[in-house]
Amino acid sequence: MKVLAAGVIPLLLVLHWKHGAGSPLPITPINATCATRHPCHSNLMNQIRNQLLQLNGSANALFILYYTAQGEPFPNNLDKLCAPNVTDFPPFHANGTEKAKLVELYRIIAYLGTSLGNITRDQKLLNPNAFSLHSKLNATADVMRGLLSNVLCRLCNKYHVAHVDVTYGPDTSGKDVFQKKKLGCQLLGKYKQVIGVVAQAF
Amino acid sequence: MRILETCSHTFLLLRTPEGSEITSLDGELVFSRKIFCRGAQNLGLGLGITSGPWRTLGPRPHQSPVLSGRRGAGSLGRGVFGFPLSFSSLSHFLFPPVPSRPLSPGPGDAPPAGSRPPSPGTRRRRIPAGPRSAKSEAQDGKLQKSSPLCPPPRLSRNSRPSALAPQLIHSPGAGVSQRVRPASTLASARAPPAPLRTRPGSRSPLPAGIPGPMALFAIFQKTFLLALLSWRTYQSEVLAEYLSLTPESLKVFTNSACQCLQLQWNVHGLPYHQELKMVFQMEISRIRPSNVIWVGNYSTTVKRDQVLHWSWESELPLECATHFVRIQSMVDDAKFPKLSIWSNWSSWEEVHVQDYPGPSTLLVFPKNKLVEEGSSITICYISGINHNNITCYLHNELIHGEQLDPKASAFKLNNVSFFKRSGTNFFCKVNQTDIQNGTTFFVSKVLEEPKNFSCETQDFETLKCTWYPGVDTGLDWNIQHSQSYTLFESFSGKKQSCKHKDSCDWKITQDSQEMYNFTLTAANNLRKRSVNIIFNLSHRVHPMAPHSVHFENRGATTVLMSWKVHVLGNYLTLQCQVELEGNGKVIQHRVDMKVNGEHLFGELVPDTQYVARVRCANAKHFWKWSEWTVENFTTPEAAPSEAPDVWRIVKSEKGSHIVSLFWKPLSKIHANGKILFYNVVVENLDKPSTSELYPIPASTRDANLTLDLCSYQIHITANNSVGTSPASVIVISGDSGKKTEEIEEEKINSTEDGFFMSWKPLSGDVVGYVVDWCEHRQDLFCNLQWKKLGPNTTSTLISSDTFRPGVRYNFRIHGISMKNIAYLLENKTGYFQELAPLDSPQVNITNLTSRSFAMTWKDYATESQPGFIQGYRVYLKARNRQCHPGFEKEVLSDDLIRCKFDIDDPRKKTFIMENLQPESSYEFFVTSYTGVGEGPNGTFTEVTTSDEPYHKLIRIILPMILFVSIIIVACYWKSEWVKEKCYPDIPDPYKSSILSLIKSKENPHLTIMNVKDCIPDAIEVINKPEGTKTQLLESRKPVRESPLIEPVYLYLQDEKKSSHPGSFICFENLTYNQSASDSGSCGHVPVPPEDSPRQLGLLTSPDNLLKTLEKNYMNSLGEIPAEETSLNYVSQLASPMTGDKDSLPTNPPVPAHCSEYKMQMAVPPMPCLPSP
Repeated sequence: MKVLAAGVIPLLLVLHWKHGAGSPLPITPINATCATRHPCHSNLMNQIRNQLLQLNGSANALFILYYTAQGEPFPNNLDKLCAPNVTDFPPFHANGTEKAKLVELYRIIAYLGTSLGNITRDQKLLNPNAFSLHSKLNATADVMRGLLSNVLCRLCNKYHVAHVDVTYGPDTSGKDVFQKKKLGCQLLGKYKQVIGVVAQAF
Repeated sequence: MRILETCSHTFLLLRTPEGSEITSLDGELVFSRKIFCRGAQNLGLGLGITSGPWRTLGPRPHQSPVLSGRRGAGSLGRGVFGFPLSFSSLSHFLFPPVPSRPLSPGPGDAPPAGSRPPSPGTRRRRIPAGPRSAKSEAQDGKLQKSSPLCPPPRLSRNSRPSALAPQLIHSPGAGVSQRVRPASTLASARAPPAPLRTRPGSRSPLPAGIPGPMALFAIFQKTFLLALLSWRTYQSEVLAEYLSLTPESLKVFTNSACQCLQLQWNVHGLPYHQELKMVFQMEISRIRPSNVIWVGNYSTTVKRDQVLHWSWESELPLECATHFVRIQSMVDDAKFPKLSIWSNWSSWEEVHVQDYPGPSTLLVFPKNKLVEEGSSITICYISGINHNNITCYLHNELIHGEQLDPKASAFKLNNVSFFKRSGTNFFCKVNQTDIQNGTTFFVSKVLEEPKNFSCETQDFETLKCTWYPGVDTGLDWNIQHSQSYTLFESFSGKKQSCKHKDSCDWKITQDSQEMYNFTLTAANNLRKRSVNIIFNLSHRVHPMAPHSVHFENRGATTVLMSWKVHVLGNYLTLQCQVELEGNGKVIQHRVDMKVNGEHLFGELVPDTQYVARVRCANAKHFWKWSEWTVENFTTPEAAPSEAPDVWRIVKSEKGSHIVSLFWKPLSKIHANGKILFYNVVVENLDKPSTSELYPIPASTRDANLTLDLCSYQIHITANNSVGTSPASVIVISGDSGKKTEEIEEEKINSTEDGFFMSWKPLSGDVVGYVVDWCEHRQDLFCNLQWKKLGPNTTSTLISSDTFRPGVRYNFRIHGISMKNIAYLLENKTGYFQELAPLDSPQVNITNLTSRSFAMTWKDYATESQPGFIQGYRVYLKARNRQCHPGFEKEVLSDDLIRCKFDIDDPRKKTFIMENLQPESSYEFFVTSYTGVGEGPNGTFTEVTTSDEPYHKLIRIILPMILFVSIIIVACYWKSEWVKEKCYPDIPDPYKSSILSLIKSKENPHLTIMNVKDCIPDAIEVINKPEGTKTQLLESRKPVRESPLIEPVYLYLQDEKKSSHPGSFICFENLTYNQSASDSGSCGHVPVPPEDSPRQLGLLTSPDNLLKTLEKNYMNSLGEIPAEETSLNYVSQLASPMTGDKDSLPTNPPVPAHCSEYKMQMAVPPMPCLPSP
């Protein structure tokens, strides 16, 4: 057995060794199918840019609406309570290639989309009468869904990237009300900050 | 009684202070396994007697009010020993004296904060406290229902030692009493041990060598006692086993949501199938065990091996401090009244919820706390940061807290108020860092008690309960839903949750339940509020609205109304209220009925719409009326009941009467239906057989008839679909009586109610009087109004809503004779309210003189003014602030003065202004005035009076005189100049110097001036006319020269030289030419001599010369009509330029002045030759 373990297994390993084994897997497997449900728009990048501009145009209003609805001390302590200190927020490099930027944008929008869903859910419970905030959150989430689809289309069609690993924001379901408010405010502050950079990069 | 734990048994122990005696009447019975073992060893009989130091583990009876009270009751009870015992003897028997040395550690013995609690039995407390009934707690209804965040135990409160006092939660069915004892008072609360009560000499050891009966007796006695003790020991062993009830297995759980400590323990040693009422006492400390913040009791019935639960709510969030809990118990059962002693304390259980954070973390608690408005909430934070750097805010307002320990601070917010449904944020931050945290708490509004709670049924199937719910206490984030309502009926024991917040339907079962006792409970997470009503079902009947309402007409004035109601139980009599509203009245009736009801309405008005309403209620036990059932119906028509009210205006015109008929529409009461048309029947009274019918449409209110001068009777009737009204009759007589213009108009005044007028009654029989007037002033739109009055009426008040201020109303009063002929009696006019004139008269100026003028305003119509014109007012602007006589001075606001003169007679429309200044300007203004005031202010008209006649003359003559005078003076002053210019002196030939020459010839010494001798420069010819010429000279010259002077001819040049042509020039002096004189010219006209030879010839003879000169001169003048008698003087001057003959005509010398006549031309010695 010792001989078998000492000789056969390494031999088998050597026989099955391939180039690239042990290195990180690529984003998309080489033979991965890249199929989208709907045909992509012909002028996809322009649409992505417009969506980014639309989000950038409404981000500040959403931020103000949010922290106003939370009441004091949020409006007067934005630097502390709503500072864009969001952990694990996907990075974005504005000077990268279009593919890299699209991949990063995809991660960001996926992160923001889920976080925005959490915020919307929380605010509907916490501020059920803040209809304008709900409406703004829903509208932003809608645009993000469309943007996510467009980015995926672009990645798929042009760069044959069918899958992007994404991360999501922290789960706020177990947090207390104040923490939910604070996390939501921080995320929207971060969103306002990032979306401006992203919109300029495209 | 003390139960002492023994090594193997529980034994009843009699003890002396020294512990050496077995029995003592005043001693206490103590069960102690240890002591028993030791005592048994000492005695060797299995009977333990304490002899050494020992510790009391239970309270002393006299320290416990519960125990003392029970012991002091003095009653006999049946204990577990099975026979009755004297209370006092038993107490002496059971409760030995306690040792004098206290065994409980003092407050100073408490372990440091955070350290583990001391070992069991090392610290004890004796807190006399009787069980307190839980019923006394929560009287205010608070926390009747446990929060979903909290476990169900009930909670009661007691006094709190500090601001952070906790709350006690007690389970249902268990009695809990509590007492909070702060750590600082803990030591004082512990009473010193009572002195051991012993009886001197009670310690009586048996002397070893006592013989005899006494010794036997003593042995017997002892034996008996020992036997008794043995038996009792057996009994007490069982009891001791059962009553060794120290709480065991104490576990403490935490619930951060409700900030609750949940205790769980059990009590071992209870007999099977035995239930004991027990009291458990809990002690809770904070931060360190010695810092007791709460002590309380919990009473409940305990079974064997039962796990007990109890919960305590902390006001301070559990995360911010470590808590310690211990528990002891006591039997509180009536079956063992003597055995109520506290057990040992359990060991301290430490509760530590939250580990202290690091130096960069700040945690704020509680999370999502729900409190009620007006209550308090304690918020705390824990942090490893220096607390001086941490500030906390509520609504941006800095909040100061209390530091609990180096790592925790608390903030108590008292009387919190509702902020918003989504909660209130409490925020803490560390200065100059980004470290911050906060929490959100929720303040609920106080749940209100339901108001106006009542139940009723409409059909005996469902009870509908309603109430006013009050404020909604719901909060967002699902912290608290809106309050719920539950209906509980005690008789049936049924309970029902209500779907609506203000009503609930309760199904009535068919079990003939009559009485209902409802309790409505409103509840939210914090509070319950209940209201209760009890009622008999039949007393809460609210019938449904009646239905099937029908009307049956029975003639034009009677209607039968019928209706039905829904069946309500058996034989339930209803009373119904029937209302009929119509024709401006409401009629109400009551009808008793069961199922069907009806009512007959009479005396209704035909063709009238009525509103009928009906509602019903329980007749026997009135509760509420049902809703109204409303139906409308209309009564049928009937023939008009009254003749139309008719009046007329008659105008005579060209041998006929134009009759205008007016009638008023019948009132609804009298029309009895819709009037379709009117019939006008004209009957000629003089020819009874002739009559004419004129149907008039119903919409018309008047008709015009042209009748001849016969008498007519006119019948007017109104007709509807059913019939004809009675006729109104008017007779138009051929003699219409007095006309309006023939009756003097009388002014009448009005009051607020109208015009009151009276008149003289018509002589003879009258059937009535009629007063008519025009509603509008214009005749075309007169809208004739009239009022018919009875025959005995001679005055009336005419009132109308149409009367307007400023309108002149003319009232004519007619008397109606028996023959229905109207006679005009009086004519009155008046204003309902007089106003000031609308305009002022237009004034014309006439008869303007230098001293007066007249103002007239004949065209001013006084009748068209909105008031009776009482006169006119003439305003005149003052001159020099003075007014004319008769005028009244009036000073205006701007210090202007005007003069006023009132003309009181409105008919006088002329005013003469007199005593005026000639050629002066006057400004005047004329206005009219009524009883209310004068007309509007207008502009003043300016009038200037004319001048006096002699003034005009003076103005013409004076300048003329002045002008003439000036001319005269000027002429006088410049007379010489004028004279020279206009009528210069005629040279008198006799004063000429030539005369001296002539005279010198006549004189012997007269010598002829020889030309040769001198240079002649002038020739003066002097001639004396003859006859008429002399006269002429005389008229000119008063001094007459000698008439004998003869003409002398002077030869100024030599004859030889005279042959030279152009050597001299001849001049003619035209001064003496009449025509030349008339022409105003004083110049000399050169007259060239045509006949010079002859002239020369004449020069030799003066006469000839004169003649020649005269002749030539006359000829030379040609057309000048010179008189024959006039003289012409010719002067000749020597030409300054000899030989230049041609220059003479072209440049004749022009003598500038007449004075130059003295300049005579020298006559050359040669005869004058005519110039070429």
